[in-house]
Amino acid sequence: MSKMSFENHIMKQFDEELEEVRTRLMEMGGKVEQQLQNAVRAVTEADSALAELVIKEEKYVDEMEVDIDEACILIIARRQPAASDLRLVMMVTKAVNDLERIGDEAKKIANHAVMLAGESTSSQGYTEVRHMGKSVINMLNNALDAFARFDVEAAMRTIEEDKQIDLEYKTALRELATYMMEDPRSITRVINILWVVRSLERIGDHAKNLCEQIVFVVKGKDIRHQK
Amino acid sequence: MTQATPVTKKKPVSKTTPKPMQNLEITDHQATVGKCFADNAKMTMRNVNVFYDDKQAIHDVSIDIAKNEVIAMIGPSGCGKSTFLRSLNRMNDTVDICRVEGQICMDGEDLYSPKLDVVELRARVGMVFQKPNPFPKSIYENVAYGPKIHGLADTRVDLDEIVENSLRKASLWEEVKERLHQAGTGLSGGQQQRLCIARAIAVSPEVILMDEPCSALDPIATARIEELIEELSQNFTIAIVTHSMQQAARVSHRTAYFHLGRLIEVNPTEQVFTMPEHQLTEAYITGRFG
Amino acid sequence: MTKKPMTDSSNHLDKIKKSLSRRNRAEKRFRWYGRMAVFVGLAAVMVLFTDIISKGHGAFRITYVELQVTYDQDMIGVENLTDPAQLALGDWEALSKAALRNEFGDVSGRRDKRKLYGLISSGAGYDLKDRLLANPLLLGETENVWILADDDIDTYYKSWLDGEPYAARMSAKQIQWIDELHAQGKIRLQFNSNLFTRGDSREPEQAGIRGAVMGSLLVLILTLMLSFPIGVSAAIYLEEFAPRNRWTDFIEVNINNLAAVPSIIFGLLGLAIFINFFHVPRSVPIVGGLVLTLMTLPTIIITSRAAIKSVPPSIREAAMGMGASKSQVVLHHVLPLSLPGMLTGAIIGMAQALGESAPLLMIGMVAFIVDIPAGFSDPATVLPVQIFLWADSPERAFIEKTSAAIMVLLSFLIVMNTVAVWLRKRLERRW
Repeated sequence: MSKMSFENHIMKQFDEELEEVRTRLMEMGGKVEQQLQNAVRAVTEADSALAELVIKEEKYVDEMEVDIDEACILIIARRQPAASDLRLVMMVTKAVNDLERIGDEAKKIANHAVMLAGESTSSQGYTEVRHMGKSVINMLNNALDAFARFDVEAAMRTIEEDKQIDLEYKTALRELATYMMEDPRSITRVINILWVVRSLERIGDHAKNLCEQIVFVVKGKDIRHQK
Repeated sequence: MTQATPVTKKKPVSKTTPKPMQNLEITDHQATVGKCFADNAKMTMRNVNVFYDDKQAIHDVSIDIAKNEVIAMIGPSGCGKSTFLRSLNRMNDTVDICRVEGQICMDGEDLYSPKLDVVELRARVGMVFQKPNPFPKSIYENVAYGPKIHGLADTRVDLDEIVENSLRKASLWEEVKERLHQAGTGLSGGQQQRLCIARAIAVSPEVILMDEPCSALDPIATARIEELIEELSQNFTIAIVTHSMQQAARVSHRTAYFHLGRLIEVNPTEQVFTMPEHQLTEAYITGRFG
Repeated sequence: MTKKPMTDSSNHLDKIKKSLSRRNRAEKRFRWYGRMAVFVGLAAVMVLFTDIISKGHGAFRITYVELQVTYDQDMIGVENLTDPAQLALGDWEALSKAALRNEFGDVSGRRDKRKLYGLISSGAGYDLKDRLLANPLLLGETENVWILADDDIDTYYKSWLDGEPYAARMSAKQIQWIDELHAQGKIRLQFNSNLFTRGDSREPEQAGIRGAVMGSLLVLILTLMLSFPIGVSAAIYLEEFAPRNRWTDFIEVNINNLAAVPSIIFGLLGLAIFINFFHVPRSVPIVGGLVLTLMTLPTIIITSRAAIKSVPPSIREAAMGMGASKSQVVLHHVLPLSLPGMLTGAIIGMAQALGESAPLLMIGMVAFIVDIPAGFSDPATVLPVQIFLWADSPERAFIEKTSAAIMVLLSFLIVMNTVAVWLRKRLERRW
């Protein structure tokens, strides 16, 4: 069952409610993706204005989480969804959680971007950030894409990407440790970059969670916490 | 929800064309999916076909009902689940134009063999109907009727005991013990249905068949009877036909989905309601057609 | 879903209001039609009752004359009061004749004496005999007795009291004697117990309906005992056990048709089969009961079937689900529940049978039976036939007796139908 249809309920209202929730989820995904892109750019281009924007916009992400959760509760109360509908609604509540966390991490990155922009303009460590940022943004993009299409194969591939990101994370840590050992004056700055990189790694994990949810909805199998 | 920055909306590509309903048709000889058979089967049915004159109501159904399980039969109207249930205790015999083919056995005995006494069968397989139908006699007489005609009680004291036990098992004793000799028809709907259940269990059947037992009752009476079914399943095997999927989900261990006279899927209830195997089952359970 | 503009909905309401007055009028008209129908029916019944009661009420009282009677043993000519042979030969009339001569001492001449003796009933002597036998000490004694008057006297006296004397069959002397008796208070109207204690008689003043009532009772008992079990069993079999095929359809059509057959045909049937073939004696309650059984059987079968059909199938299913066999379902559940309907049908059937005369005429219950029937094989007649016979008689006194008998029959029928209705109401409630 690779293609799923959440329409064609006898109660058209039910169709509309599910559609509404999915649309909002996609919107939230898009918003979060943009927040991440802006946050990484704010770091690599030392753009504190952009960083401030990301910090300001974070509350919209939180609002979206609350709205979508409420909508899901209403669907459960009103429609008593079963089988695939039930899995969809349960998945949405979890996905919304992961997306909100990604938004949080993006905000944290933006916070560090502000601090980094105030420091000396050294481009040390920014390569790692740019590199890893690109990978993570790519992974999130793939995850959201697979999400929109309920594409299990794409989701499984994206889950693999997380391994890649973990490797990059370890490499980045080593590099940053070297910087700190070389030049003790750069420790404060490098520590900020460390936090950014760590946030990126967390975002990768959350993107992986999203993909596991897709598999659960489509295949009915819970593949979380497996190697 | 105003946004300062334009959001790249992820357009859901899956505006797939809705699955046309024609795809949900059954081809002939589609096998039933799921766990149809059981090891400790109380009743076994193989290749059962039921006809009303030339109209075929049940097509080639094979299924086991395990001992002490509660199995729910669900499906849209006219799918044959009631007909199937009634063929288990040969109530279809009362309909002249009804013909049952295939093998239906209980504990290995063929229920449709000419040597089998239908009266004895119905003492072993009891039935509770959709609309509560107590006899227009006293509560005591209602419950005592079965034991009397089957000769289960030798003395009045025995009969009293049977009546009390049955009413207790049906969670009705406390409410009626003071008025056993008042008319059974004077009770409320839910009480009447519990009286019918007490009447059915008074002859200690092995299997109890329930044909939409709660469809005429309010939610609280329904809940009490569902609770009762759970208790009864420890001692009896129960097959229940229901229109309410939530009820099937609440009370049964296994669920069987019927569609247009065919058995589509039989699986443990948890599985049927979270991840059904067959797409027809999925469509029915999620309310895509009823 | 667009909302309809306000003007449309008020238009809508106007249309309804307009049709309302027309519909109310139609409603009222319809109700008046019903009332008129009921009124016409009631009016017809009222007219009938008024006619019958006005004609018949007089029969419940009859004229008695007070005379002084001497129980002269020599005149009677009986020595031993316990010897039936002697009693049969006694001249009892002499007592009453002597009493008359005593009252009107100045009557002479055979013609006048005949007129005098015509004042009282020809059976008065036997009444006196009964009084003597009841109280043997009266022998040789004298007492004042109220003696039954002749029917012509009764007719004249009643009409004279009403103000329109009917003197066609009276002689001038008789009228004079009655005036004298009336002046002395020796003639009066009493309750007509003979009507209820005696059988038929040529003399109107002695005629009673007891024989006919007993005959009706015997016939009805036999009819009930035969038709109810047979009818109910047939209904149960046809409804519960018989297979549904062409034969049973044929039987059902025929039973329904039999209910509509004119009742006299059953009389012919009884004549041909019971009397001519089986040689059952004519005019006895046995053959009357058999014929009426045949007649009411279709009615009872049809009403019993309807009663059985009205038992809801859910009860049958419940009983069968319990493992009751077919006959147990019928005996334990269907029959008790349908019994009220069956009883009602039976009572109505009996009420119909009570009023039947045509078939009984055919089998000979039209004979003039004087003795009260005691058993099923004694010759008897029934009340409707008795009415028919009396209606034929020339004596004027029989006119009011006929109406009185009709009143008695009608009251039986009303009581039976009322009981049927009450029974049905009472037993229906429990269900």
